[in-house]
Amino acid sequence: MMSAESHEAVLRQSEPAIRLLLIEDDDSIAAEVVAELEARGYGVTRASTGLEGVDEAISRRYDLMVVDRMLPELDGLSVIERLRREQIMTPVLVLSALSAVDDRVNGLKAGGDDYLTKPFAMEELAARLEALLRRPTDSRETVLRVGPIEMDLIERKVFREGREVDLLPREFRLLEYMMRRPGAVLTRTMLLEDVWNYRFVPQTNLVDVHIGKLRRKIDVPGEAPLIQSIRGAGFSLRVPN
Amino acid sequence: MFQTDIFRTATFRLTLAFVVAIIAGVLLQFMLVYGQMTNYERARSTDFLKREAALLVQETPEELEDAVRDRTKTDLRVILNGAALFDLMHQPIVGDIHTWPEGLEVSPEAQRLWVVPRKDRPFEMRFMAVRVPDRDGHSDGRVLVLARSMHMADELRYITKRSALMSVIPIVLFALLAGIFLSHRALARVKEMREAIVRIMGGDLQERLPVGRERDDIERLASAVNRMLDRLEHLLDEIRDVGNDIAHDLRTPLARVRASLERVTGSEDVEHLNAVIQRATQDLDQCFSIITALLRIGELENGRRRAGFAMTDLTEVVAGIVDLYEPIAETQGIALHQDGLTSKALLYGDADLLSEVLANLVDNAIKFTPEGGEVGLRVERQADHKISVQVFDTGIGIPEQERGAVLGRFYRSDKSRHIPGSGLGLSLVSAILDLHGATLTIEAYQEGHHYPGSVFTLVFEAAAAENGMENGT
Repeated sequence: MMSAESHEAVLRQSEPAIRLLLIEDDDSIAAEVVAELEARGYGVTRASTGLEGVDEAISRRYDLMVVDRMLPELDGLSVIERLRREQIMTPVLVLSALSAVDDRVNGLKAGGDDYLTKPFAMEELAARLEALLRRPTDSRETVLRVGPIEMDLIERKVFREGREVDLLPREFRLLEYMMRRPGAVLTRTMLLEDVWNYRFVPQTNLVDVHIGKLRRKIDVPGEAPLIQSIRGAGFSLRVPN
Repeated sequence: MFQTDIFRTATFRLTLAFVVAIIAGVLLQFMLVYGQMTNYERARSTDFLKREAALLVQETPEELEDAVRDRTKTDLRVILNGAALFDLMHQPIVGDIHTWPEGLEVSPEAQRLWVVPRKDRPFEMRFMAVRVPDRDGHSDGRVLVLARSMHMADELRYITKRSALMSVIPIVLFALLAGIFLSHRALARVKEMREAIVRIMGGDLQERLPVGRERDDIERLASAVNRMLDRLEHLLDEIRDVGNDIAHDLRTPLARVRASLERVTGSEDVEHLNAVIQRATQDLDQCFSIITALLRIGELENGRRRAGFAMTDLTEVVAGIVDLYEPIAETQGIALHQDGLTSKALLYGDADLLSEVLANLVDNAIKFTPEGGEVGLRVERQADHKISVQVFDTGIGIPEQERGAVLGRFYRSDKSRHIPGSGLGLSLVSAILDLHGATLTIEAYQEGHHYPGSVFTLVFEAAAAENGMENGT
């Protein structure tokens, strides 16, 4: 919980409150999400129907939206389509019930930016919102730097304080993904989806094994650990203060 | 049955149909008899007229007149028959017909004409008028007119009609009774079956429809329904078993969560609390993963999840899975490798779901293979545009008699009870393969060995486009 607190503190200090619009008809889920996100420093407005959500999104500027798939009056996908037609390009995370068929594909087609099925862990939601907020701009840089780590994207080489780290291609991909999102909490599902492009949850904790392998190569004993495990959430690449 | 909706019962309808059919039959028979009779009577009376005329014209002129006069004296003839001689100007000479009937022509054919006697209503008679020849065969200036009344025919018709009408009531009564008896007999079995069905609907699933020795349509229907009920009962048993398994698999982690939460209630040791919360979260996640897997299987078995279907390269999918599982295989001392094709093996499918299939199989293979063993994936091209993927291992293997059952929900071999997992991986695999129209066979990898291992062979239909161009996007 330590890390979440410090993370929250960072959000409060460095940025003005991030305005988030939650369109969700289920009161108890909405209350949970609002409480959790407000504790994390978001300014949350909630709309409980599709039409109300569209009105709200048009009348004020929001940084992020969380839209439930099934809504009264106007369903979530239509809400997104309508907003996109109005040239409102606010990043949207779609929430949906588990058994909905092919929802992910349709959700992304309609203009959603990410997709999360219920039930979800709050940590997962928070991590994904953060990722949407700080989308890595596909930089033209050929060298990534996070603290002591340096990644040469052309030579496919990684150095930590001058020491070359020998990585397998998959380890390189994983590290690159993390280096493009320094400080961000990355959940196991996010890593599986974005690094390996898999949308199923394997029975074995594969991601942990991959991270473990990478960690052993990056954080040699005696060096400050950069790859951190965030309890209950996932992992993060952070430079200790 | 007879008070409320008698008109809707099958008995009533069958009986009604029976009665209608019998009445129609009687009516048809009456019409045929009537027609036959009319024809016969006409032929008979024509024949009679002709013969009589032929006989009379052979008499000498004087005798002919006497004969005609004689005839008119005989009783009954006045009404029934007539005979007369006329001259060529249609003036009567002798006989009981006093005026030339209107419309009568001299012809050897019989003619039907209406005559109006002095008092009575007009009535119809059959006439015949022939010239009386002289010795040389020329006309002697007289015309012989013979007539027969149609009373005989009318009377016969009347009798027929009357008897038909009279017989309608007993026939209808008979048809009604016979109809009720027959349809009741036929429908009694239907009623029995309906009662059996009501009992089944009431929850008595062991109940079956009565089937006797007669192999008629109803019995065949009943035995088909019985076979269907057998199948349904079997399915219900399976579902009940699955339900029990789900309940059991969910109860264990939930019980753990409950017990640990109860234990730490009121505790102020934050470290300890955090540890308990983390474990509880893991247990709940396991419950969710079971529920998620069940819902996904349901979704897949409904065959609706096809939005992700596209041209997919199986070799690439396999390579991805090998890449994903290599570290974990390595930490467990297992050699994981890919053999077979290195070129593209295109098929039409959902890459994500296919990855999930292979992930499940490789996951299992690694779990059940001891350290030092190997797990391999091999993509091969088969005859008839088929592509196969084999996942083989040198693990504990699956006994032959259990190979079919492992694909069922929650099946876990006794040997593997201690290994965690939702127990749904292989049912998910078979649901996804069904969606792709692929087949799955399970064999031993090295028969007779202490670790026989297993080979899962998946056979897919190659994409049609693969034969032509090589654009696998």
